[in-house]
Amino acid sequence: MESYLAQWVAEAPVLAGSAAVVLLMVAIAALLGFRTEARLDDAALAQLAAAEGARIEAAVIAPNGRHALARLSGGKLMVARVMGNDVSARVAPVNGVQVRVTKGKLSARFADLGFPPLEMPLQAPPPWLAELAGEPK
Amino acid sequence: MTAPVTSMTMPSLEPPFEIPPIITYAVPAFVLLILIEMIVVKLSKRGRYEVRDSATSLAMGLGNRVFGLAFGGIAVAAYFWVYQFRLFDLGWTWPVLVACFFAEDLSYYWFHRIAHERRWFWASHIVHHSSQHYNLTTALRQTWTGVLGLSFIFTLPLMLIGFPPLMVLMFSAISLVYQFWIHTEVIGRLGPLEWVMNTPSHHRVHHATNAKYLDANYAGVLIIWDRLFGTFVPEDDNVKIHYGIISQLGTFNPFRVAVHEWIGIWRDVRGAKSLREVLGFTFGPPGWSPDGSRKTSRSIKQEWAAQQQSAAVPAE
Repeated sequence: MESYLAQWVAEAPVLAGSAAVVLLMVAIAALLGFRTEARLDDAALAQLAAAEGARIEAAVIAPNGRHALARLSGGKLMVARVMGNDVSARVAPVNGVQVRVTKGKLSARFADLGFPPLEMPLQAPPPWLAELAGEPK
Repeated sequence: MTAPVTSMTMPSLEPPFEIPPIITYAVPAFVLLILIEMIVVKLSKRGRYEVRDSATSLAMGLGNRVFGLAFGGIAVAAYFWVYQFRLFDLGWTWPVLVACFFAEDLSYYWFHRIAHERRWFWASHIVHHSSQHYNLTTALRQTWTGVLGLSFIFTLPLMLIGFPPLMVLMFSAISLVYQFWIHTEVIGRLGPLEWVMNTPSHHRVHHATNAKYLDANYAGVLIIWDRLFGTFVPEDDNVKIHYGIISQLGTFNPFRVAVHEWIGIWRDVRGAKSLREVLGFTFGPPGWSPDGSRKTSRSIKQEWAAQQQSAAVPAE
């Protein structure tokens, strides 16, 4: 136990130095301008849906173009979000996504830790979405 | 218990030199090479960087170091425990060093292959593949749960044969350092080296999510194992590579990156209806499901092959 603790004490400055270097490298990456944002639009959503062998029936896209929720052919839902200069999406059956619309905000949750809940502002939900959010899950 | 002495002159089981902390010594070179790559990418537009993606990768690398300190002793203890039962006293000689290099690289190949083919081991290894970018910071995007996920068991046979644990650890470290520089889009093909060595070109294929490239090029240092065991796929200049995993992550949070697949296993197992399902969700191929409704590498490749075939047959 003593040697285990001694190992941590000996490594502490190395870890602290490593953390500082990580921050420095991230700062340099930012300074070099590696901070781009993809934007979701109808064409991007159609492309994502096509990759799943489906087509978009209806969709809502966040005003900043960073999040979207779409109803696909085949009774599925697609949730998409911008990840830097890439996009990540999940397609699931309607009952696999918990959709809520409250106080001008749309929330979509999955049972997937790798894809956190989607939250986006939404003033007036279209009828299909209101229906979806109103359905008991 | 030690193996019986089979010769009059016992070979030295202790290293004849002090093994340096290879990975620690390599870190400054890692940092320098990342900075050089960033500048090359900026100037040449070849390759891609994204600041949050890189921050996550570097945080995963740092976390890997912390978890290595916390739990790495378990693997080392297992190495020395198994070494008690070794079949041969191989010692530190040049022929043994050469044999150990090849043996460690072969064991890495099988570890790596199984880490892709079985979800239990994939749950740790997925972290390394979870970036949609392919640059030198991706090399540092390492698991936090490797030891706890028992990844080290694939190296134990080397100790059972009789390779000294420190020798095996030394070659593991060399392999890890070697594999750093191959995570780049900046370097193209390397001529005859491509025949024998794992190179950036071969490893780009390994990190690709394109159906054509799935489950290929598991090599550590030598690509010969993939050529030997039928998993080698050369890079096709006409195919644009998409990096990452089949279900791309929707988060840069290192904690979510580290454990998301483990939680996925847990959720699936909790909903399993039979022992077969428990085993399938835990040790089946990633994407396995009882009704086959989810995608596995095999099903994706089969679908892709069928599409290729139908595209090749002219319509009547």
